[in-house]
Amino acid sequence: MIRSFRPDAGAKLAGTAGFGYDLDRPGMRFGALVLAARAHGRLDSVDLAPARALPGVVAIAADDLSTLLDGAHGDPERPPFASREVMYDGQPIAAVAAPTLAGARAAAAAVVATLAPLPVVADLESVFPEWPEAPIASSAPIAAHVHARRGDVDRALREAATVVRGTYRTSGVHQVALEPHACLAEVRDGLWHVTTSTQSPFGVREDVAGILGIPERSIVVDGTWVGGGFGGKGASLVEPYALLLARAAGAPVRLALTYREAFRLGRTTLPSVVRMETGVTDGAIVARRVRLLLDVGTSLPGRDFATGYAIGFLLGPYRTPAFEVEGYAVRTHKPPFGPHRAPYAPQAAFVVESHLNEVARAIGEDPAAFRARHVLAEGDRTALGQEVSAFGLSEVLRRATAVRDAWRRDAGPGRGVGLGLGFWATNTGAGGEARVLLSPTGLEIVQGEREIGSGSVAVGLVAAAERSTGLPRDAIRVTYRDTSAAPFDAGVFGSRTVGALGQAVDAACRAALAALGDRLGGAGELRLELEGDEVVAIRGTARRPVRSLLTPEERRDGGLAADGRHTGAPRTIDESLVVEGGFYPYQDFTGAAHVAEVDVDRETGAVRVVRYAAFHDVGVVVDRPTATAQIEGGIVMGLGAALTEESIWSDDGRLLNPGLLDYRIPTLGEVPPIDVTFVEGFAGAGPFGAKGLGEPPIIPVPATIAAAIRDATGVSLTELPFTPERVARALKRA
Amino acid sequence: MASFHVSAPPTAEEAVRELASGAPGEVAVLAGGTDLLLDLDEGRARPARLVSLRNLPWRTVVWDGAELVVGSTLPLRALETVAGLGERHPALFEAVRAVGGVALRHRATLGGNLGRSAPASDLLPVLLALDAEVDLVGPGGARSLPVDRFLRASRETALGRGELIRAVRLPEPRPSAYLWQRVRPANDISQLSVAAAYSPSDRRWRVALGGVPPRPVLVPEASTPLDGPAPSPAAVAAGARRIAEHPALVSDRRASDEYRRGLVGVLYTRCVRAAARRAGAAA
Amino acid sequence: MTGDGARITVNGRTAPITEVPGDERLLDTVRWRLGLKGTKEGCRTGECGACTVLIDGQTALSCLTLTREIEGRAVTTIEGIPDAPFGRAVLDAFAEAGAFQCGYCTPGFVVALAGLLREEGRSAPLRQLLEELGANLCRCTGYAAIARAVELARARGP
Repeated sequence: MIRSFRPDAGAKLAGTAGFGYDLDRPGMRFGALVLAARAHGRLDSVDLAPARALPGVVAIAADDLSTLLDGAHGDPERPPFASREVMYDGQPIAAVAAPTLAGARAAAAAVVATLAPLPVVADLESVFPEWPEAPIASSAPIAAHVHARRGDVDRALREAATVVRGTYRTSGVHQVALEPHACLAEVRDGLWHVTTSTQSPFGVREDVAGILGIPERSIVVDGTWVGGGFGGKGASLVEPYALLLARAAGAPVRLALTYREAFRLGRTTLPSVVRMETGVTDGAIVARRVRLLLDVGTSLPGRDFATGYAIGFLLGPYRTPAFEVEGYAVRTHKPPFGPHRAPYAPQAAFVVESHLNEVARAIGEDPAAFRARHVLAEGDRTALGQEVSAFGLSEVLRRATAVRDAWRRDAGPGRGVGLGLGFWATNTGAGGEARVLLSPTGLEIVQGEREIGSGSVAVGLVAAAERSTGLPRDAIRVTYRDTSAAPFDAGVFGSRTVGALGQAVDAACRAALAALGDRLGGAGELRLELEGDEVVAIRGTARRPVRSLLTPEERRDGGLAADGRHTGAPRTIDESLVVEGGFYPYQDFTGAAHVAEVDVDRETGAVRVVRYAAFHDVGVVVDRPTATAQIEGGIVMGLGAALTEESIWSDDGRLLNPGLLDYRIPTLGEVPPIDVTFVEGFAGAGPFGAKGLGEPPIIPVPATIAAAIRDATGVSLTELPFTPERVARALKRA
Repeated sequence: MASFHVSAPPTAEEAVRELASGAPGEVAVLAGGTDLLLDLDEGRARPARLVSLRNLPWRTVVWDGAELVVGSTLPLRALETVAGLGERHPALFEAVRAVGGVALRHRATLGGNLGRSAPASDLLPVLLALDAEVDLVGPGGARSLPVDRFLRASRETALGRGELIRAVRLPEPRPSAYLWQRVRPANDISQLSVAAAYSPSDRRWRVALGGVPPRPVLVPEASTPLDGPAPSPAAVAAGARRIAEHPALVSDRRASDEYRRGLVGVLYTRCVRAAARRAGAAA
Repeated sequence: MTGDGARITVNGRTAPITEVPGDERLLDTVRWRLGLKGTKEGCRTGECGACTVLIDGQTALSCLTLTREIEGRAVTTIEGIPDAPFGRAVLDAFAEAGAFQCGYCTPGFVVALAGLLREEGRSAPLRQLLEELGANLCRCTGYAAIARAVELARARGP
């Protein structure tokens, strides 16, 4: 008997948990994609005949879509296959399926694509060498432009006692879920079925409908256990291809990416350049100007929000009387920008925190004290005019500062201690519905969402139901259904699962209890208890087994069903400040302060993290071990972004490190002891006052490490990640 | 990946015969396979036949007096657990432990590292600094070559057609050290590495550079200034200056020439000092 | 299958491999031929550790192992780990510490740790055990819970 706070321990430790990669059906074919071998080119022809000549092979490309889709047309902005022009290295140009995986790979290799080279834009800065001194022409490859301001920033900066300017560069990073994207598709009875490793079955359904131009009602998406997502599995990627191949083959098709393919197909955070200016008078920030170039690759429609989001995080959680922000989403020949755990927020926090450290130093003040005087609190307004809801950032800052000071007192030579802040706007706004089924012996939560690893579904939703009903956790289970049978939810991302879906579960549980209460009588709060194997309803002195309260129909259907839904609170920004583009209000204000001690080898540039402490504003802790694990995992992912992880492209736009040896995620030996502290009491919009926790832990990490390196060496780094070579170069220059 | 046929002959004679019967590129040697299989997957090699060495009696390691004789197919994991290796050949111990994880070391071999001649191999600079001799067996009989003459370039060695590496011999225990620099300490390729060893018999140093194209190299100009088992700071500084001028310190995607030139003296100084400390302890 | 053909043993059961082509990886043999999907396919290049199995008790990367090369030897996958030395202790430790999240790297970690403890013994320094597991990658946990599990498993013994 396995004992664990994780209900998924049994399946995952026995190796019986079935992931997307493990999908298998009798008669199944193996799919493979044919990826373009240059970043920009004119696709003169795609010859599938050599592949089709191989035994049992089907091969499809852009020209086959109309036939396969019975004349339907998908979104022209999101064609599955390149047809005339290839826009990034790795863009799919064809797909094949064969009876064996080796056969599929051979067939993919047999496809002949004629691709004439076109000029490649790989480097963001080469597009605008004069930026920001020279204005950007409207004819430039701009996917989106956002611009907002308040007050006379030019004048405020001119008149400020001190003005600090800095330029920062951030790198592309990849999610690196340990399980690459994988699915199995089948077309039968007029329905397009796909079973997939996804963060969002309903999102995949919507995507597939849009990309292929078929109605959502004819698509059924089922989930599997998910081998990590981190944002990379929030939208469809392999599913449309698998479905098209299944249609062409008349058989189930499994399509699983290799790591190399997952890296090349990208859809993650891309590089940026940021210019920051801050004016200070009498110790107070009087004005700030933020200018951003954000690489969005082959931008997809609907993804251009990235710039507005990024800009918001670049302002940081600080009071700012006058400001101007302007950002450009720049198209390059890279895969489309896509969500990566707290998209761009760790990069933005690195920039704003590093810059404000310089500002504080310029006026001779301790950076933590400078922050404490500027950090937003409940009742303040953000730069963009949104009213701040409960926000514990000054409290986490206060506690982290004490730890920083204590660690500094005993840090040895070559060591440095740094502090960084990060904030996040939990995205609980998107819709979510839940259904619970209360049976005589327990409570079932019916879900389409799958557990992606964080515990937000398998632990978080169960913990929410435990709080709502009083039932012990082992009497509550989650059952998973496909999109034809499950209640709708937007997806397991955006730190929203416990907040939004948890609230829907809470509402569904309360609806079930209310229905029971009408039958039970009595007064006061109704709770459930487990007595032996029987669920008992209790209110005041009234006490009866649930079995005796169910109608015959309910007993036949397995229990009393109740639904709940989540609706986000309305939030607004001051739209009069917006000059152009989309800026977004935040649902919840959450944040963290981190402290790191580092050891810097001044000769080699190597940085070792010695110890780490994290203070998180979480509203309320829903499940302590799971929340702790989430923070530990987020911090280490952040250490990768801070120290070793970067996607590197050649001048002609080829990804040079599409593998785990050269794209370096942290390993066990490098990880420091991590001390996690929860700060409760600043209630969020989630159930019982919970705030999201999936993304916040990664956000302050690069900023914190940069501050610690600065403390150890006196050198401020302005470019991520802090590889030994970059640190050594900066030390040499200093 | 094109498919291939694998044979596993029981004797060296048969292995040599099978190997010699194929055209170059048509037949390849399979030792641990940790490197070869990646080439096969990527289509960088397309042999029709592999000759596996798994049945050959070369998974051996013996001390022959001062000499350590390591069979070419002995897994690195077995080598690192040889009693006394850490004391008598500390650089080799350090280099073996720098390779992958335990599972990889259960499969990777010294013979494979030599035969594949990868520029970033952590073992090759150490074998150079220890004056390793490579014992070969082939259609023309047996012969031995110093490792410096055995290695030619990346993926190029002195192995003749049908020839196999039978064993590697390290002539004497040497106070030595191996240091590497990586972006990530574990599971990564060394950007640059230095091996240094002091020979008690000829009272001279050997210094080798790894992680550079086209192959790891001995750097005599960086060892000649070193005066005795406890070289003076001035001697070490002179060696550090000389090694920084080595023409192999170039830019590639793992590091820039500027970084390598700044780093090499640091690794050299630390490595020589570590080896000298061990020489002092051994004396 | 005749009694004198080539074979390996997987989790104590004999598996004939005479039909296995020379270029087939052990990873594919256990997953697709024997249906043991607990062994995870990650990089196929020896860089992630997800496919770790034991061969004659020693850790091996099944993606870099040709099945025919291990003829006559005994393979233990995650499905057989409860009966392997330290297997039960490692499983219990991973469960108790919650040393997994998505679970994709977990079978590889469990097998690698059981193999490592068998080789290094309980007296091995914790630091060394952690560094030796550096070739197994995890993206979810930040390794903190895995480090706790290593400590627990070592304390428990085989």
